[in-house]
Amino acid sequence: MEVSIGGGLAATLPGVDPVMDPESRAWVAALAGDGGDREAALGRLHALLLRAARFELGRRRGQLAGLSVAERHDLATQAADDAMMAVLARLGDFRGLSRFTTWAYKFALLEAATKARRMAWRARELPRPPEDWLAVADPDGRPEAAAEHAELLAAVRDAVAEVLTPQQREVLLTVVAGRVPLDVLAERRGTTRGALYKTIHDARRKLRAHLAASGLLAGEEVSR
Amino acid sequence: MSLIEGLLGPDDPEVGCDECFADLDRYVELELAGEDPDAVLPGLRAHLAGCLACREEHESLRALADGAG
Repeated sequence: MEVSIGGGLAATLPGVDPVMDPESRAWVAALAGDGGDREAALGRLHALLLRAARFELGRRRGQLAGLSVAERHDLATQAADDAMMAVLARLGDFRGLSRFTTWAYKFALLEAATKARRMAWRARELPRPPEDWLAVADPDGRPEAAAEHAELLAAVRDAVAEVLTPQQREVLLTVVAGRVPLDVLAERRGTTRGALYKTIHDARRKLRAHLAASGLLAGEEVSR
Repeated sequence: MSLIEGLLGPDDPEVGCDECFADLDRYVELELAGEDPDAVLPGLRAHLAGCLACREEHESLRALADGAG
């Protein structure tokens, strides 16, 4: 569908939802337009994305303790720059189902979080799954959890060894037991977060099916 | 999240990372509006339970959209 956008601009944007709020409509109109209005909107968009990137890096201050103020500033700017490219490339995907600012924020958060995770691991070798990772106590430190789930943990350990492919086993253990961020492992393997998560998802399905068939997955033990 | 929970993941059907990213802004605004985002976007909450990276970004987006930053 094509909806005329107001504000004195004659442009029409395919797919714009008619319920889009006025502020979001103005953002889209300005960014899809040309001339001075677009230049001004680009400046406002970059400032918005930079604020979001700094917010995310601020939440990850501990991970980035080794960076100088200038390096953190550069990282935020790179995240905002990359997010701006993504926002503009995907502007046609915006349907007005949220505020434009919320939609745009997520691109900056993704870029900043991904860059921060990779930066934090840039000089580190990825841990390879040792045999004893699944023999350790529950990492959340709850003694009762370790005790109550001992049988299930042993069954999960056996299932990991028996039913998963070598790739599924390595990815699942590296991310879950080794606590390597998906983005970091994806970068090292030359793949994407989504593709790696699919591997993890498939591995989990296999484990669940195996444990269910063994009668070990009933009850509350693994529910959230 | 315990080791077992991490290994077995969410019990409910879930979307993937790309679908999660595509709908995350709408999900957050439905949450902040007090509506039921899981009725509108099924499978996203289960994904957030199973994917630490997406969960972290959900928390950040929710905070920013709620006025932080």
